[in-house]
Amino acid sequence: MTTTQQRRLEYRALFKQNVGKRLAVDKAVRIIIFSCVIIAIIPLGSILVEVFKNGITAISYEFLTEVPGSIGSGEGGIGPAIQGTLIIIGLSSMIGVPIGVMSGIFLSEYGDNQLARTIRFFNDVFMEFPSIVLGIFAFLMIVLILGHFSVWAGAFALSLIMFPIVARTTEESLKMVPVTYREAGTALGLKKWVITFRIVISGAKSGMITGILLSVSRIGGETAPLIMTILGSSQFFSSMDVPMDALPLRIWRLSLLPYDSAQLQGWGAALVLIIIILGINLGVRYYFANKKGSIFGRLIKQGVSGKK
Amino acid sequence: MTRLIDPSLQKLSFIMAEMGDMVIESISLAIDSYLDGTNTKDKVLELSDAIRSKYFDVEDLTFDMLLKFQPVADDFRLIRSSTEISYAFSRFGRYAYDITLVRDLFGDISECKNASLVESSKKVKHMIKEAVLSFAELDVRKAVAIREDERFIDAIYKERLPKLIESNNTKCALAEALLLRYLERIGDHAVFMSDAINYIVTGKHRPSEDRIASHTKPKESSLDL
Amino acid sequence: MTALTTQSRPSLDNSSLSKEDYAGIEIEKKYKMIAENVTISYGDFVAVKNITMKFPEKSVTALIGPSGCGKTTFLRCLNRMHDMTKNAQVEGKVMLDDIDLYDKSVDPIYHRRKVGMVFQKPNPFPTMSIYDNVVAGLKLNGVKDKKILDEIVEDSLKMAYLWDEVHNDLKKSAIELSGGQQQRLCIARALAIQPEVLLMDEPASALDPIATQKIEETITELKKEYTIIIVTHNMQQAVRVSDFTGFMYLGDLIEFRETKKLFTDPKNELTAKYVQGHFG
Repeated sequence: MTTTQQRRLEYRALFKQNVGKRLAVDKAVRIIIFSCVIIAIIPLGSILVEVFKNGITAISYEFLTEVPGSIGSGEGGIGPAIQGTLIIIGLSSMIGVPIGVMSGIFLSEYGDNQLARTIRFFNDVFMEFPSIVLGIFAFLMIVLILGHFSVWAGAFALSLIMFPIVARTTEESLKMVPVTYREAGTALGLKKWVITFRIVISGAKSGMITGILLSVSRIGGETAPLIMTILGSSQFFSSMDVPMDALPLRIWRLSLLPYDSAQLQGWGAALVLIIIILGINLGVRYYFANKKGSIFGRLIKQGVSGKK
Repeated sequence: MTRLIDPSLQKLSFIMAEMGDMVIESISLAIDSYLDGTNTKDKVLELSDAIRSKYFDVEDLTFDMLLKFQPVADDFRLIRSSTEISYAFSRFGRYAYDITLVRDLFGDISECKNASLVESSKKVKHMIKEAVLSFAELDVRKAVAIREDERFIDAIYKERLPKLIESNNTKCALAEALLLRYLERIGDHAVFMSDAINYIVTGKHRPSEDRIASHTKPKESSLDL
Repeated sequence: MTALTTQSRPSLDNSSLSKEDYAGIEIEKKYKMIAENVTISYGDFVAVKNITMKFPEKSVTALIGPSGCGKTTFLRCLNRMHDMTKNAQVEGKVMLDDIDLYDKSVDPIYHRRKVGMVFQKPNPFPTMSIYDNVVAGLKLNGVKDKKILDEIVEDSLKMAYLWDEVHNDLKKSAIELSGGQQQRLCIARALAIQPEVLLMDEPASALDPIATQKIEETITELKKEYTIIIVTHNMQQAVRVSDFTGFMYLGDLIEFRETKKLFTDPKNELTAKYVQGHFG
């Protein structure tokens, strides 16, 4: 021991003594952080409140099921738009999710090379693309070539938005599964694809689901690409080759009309859209939570981390 | 770098050194008691008790080290042999005392001494010094000399004993018988000790079949461990 | 830590090992695995330098040595785990019975079944139940017969000394078990694929003393049937559990002998210094 008792006392004296001031600073910082959170939440909360307030009166069975009435009449509903939104989300997911998940798996499990690095880079760039650009692309690729607006084009455009998000979040979730589980699988003599699909993915499930739901919520509200591809209509879905309605389009159209009744219907449509998106989120989580029991419920609630 | 076990090892070495010195002193005094006639019983008793008490200290210390440190390799062999060697030391002290008791009981027996007895006594003194030194320096070459001395003492013992039966002088005969017996036992323990020292250095137990003569059987197998 | 000069270290090729180290064993037991002239390097760094080691069957061999000496790297080459590592290069032969695992014609995935591995930190698959974990190596490889799976689960868990504690709720999630139980579950999982050799990489280092004791008891029972190779940095564990010990230092095999002999009378000075705690 080279430090003497005396020196130790001197060291101790170095510590700041004014505990009171430090506690006050601590408290102040906490208050500032808390206030920032409140400030951030207020607009979100007030939006929900506004939409609910303004839109709730428009809701009725007819509103939800009927075709739009003549402009300005205040009659009719948004039936086709609801159907269209559900259809377009479903179709886009069917295209975008598998491609996105497979890309994510490739990038995570097989991706320690130059090709993967390039793909990853372009994936990140792609994520940030303005959706209107993607809409124009779909317009050029499909609408112009086929000669008409169609649901195919819409699904294509939205899947382009979906797939980078899904790929990224899938990759991140898979990477968060510790390498030791892959090693255990290898040591058991399992083939790589078996390890990836049966072991690693089940560990990354909650993160992947979060990613997929994120992308679904994103495309549920996209408007610009839909303008260029499915155009909108006042009829229920008839075939894949013709224009179709969707809630964002309907909301947009209704909000531009000068009639109060149209405005009211617009609010109602907005409320319906928010409820649908929320419903999908909660429904999927509930489904996966129940499947595996209480542990998984806790896992789901943890979001992407997937840890206990 | 000082390991946790090092202070205990130093303490052990210190105690053993003290015991070694006391052993040399007590054996010398004991042998001189019948060669010169001096009655050294009390002094030697004191030494013997001190050696015995240090033997218990060594036992405590070695088991303490085994409990705490789980020593291996050189440390392990040193500790294992130290128990045997400290027991040998305690035996030396005891036999030294027994020898002084002979002098004490029989009175001055310096006229009983003869050439064989004197030779044996000299050899024993030499053996003890060599044994203690051999342990202090962990020098196994001395083992050869120790073994030779022991054989000599054994031979004298076997040679003299029948002759003593024929002797006319009861007092000297009995005294000499007892003394030769003690010297022979000291010799045996000295060889045990040198085997233990050999184990420390080479890691091999050496059953010395030839040393024990007829009164103990050599070990069954010559396994190394 | 004092740096040790390498001049005091004899270069070790097997001819310098005395006959007694291997000869006695050759009479009683045959070798289950033989690693010949194995060199493992990561790019320029050579982690394992031309090592030859023979592992007798139905016994426990321990690998000891200071951190970074290459013992875990060496262990992992015995079941070709380095195939998973990007810039690892393995040269040499690893014979399992009569087959060289590194031969071009050998399918590593198939042969990994014969060499099970247990890792340092218990890693039962977190999303699976106890039952599913044990049969993972079987079910995911196509074995479907429920009766056989049930039998194997009971057998493996019994061998791992875990059956009594979990048999009434095999559907419980694996991560609800304690650390020691999880590790025994991993042992059961490795045993379920009916291996012949079991590799263990510091299996008890993440566990408390009671759990460690149970693992050591398990190993002592298992060696009646399996050949076990265990890497450990706990020398007392090596003394308690193993029959043979290999001491490695900076990628070389310094000494390989019967455990008791290595720990009471090591031939090499470096070994003596290490086991007595003069460095490491």
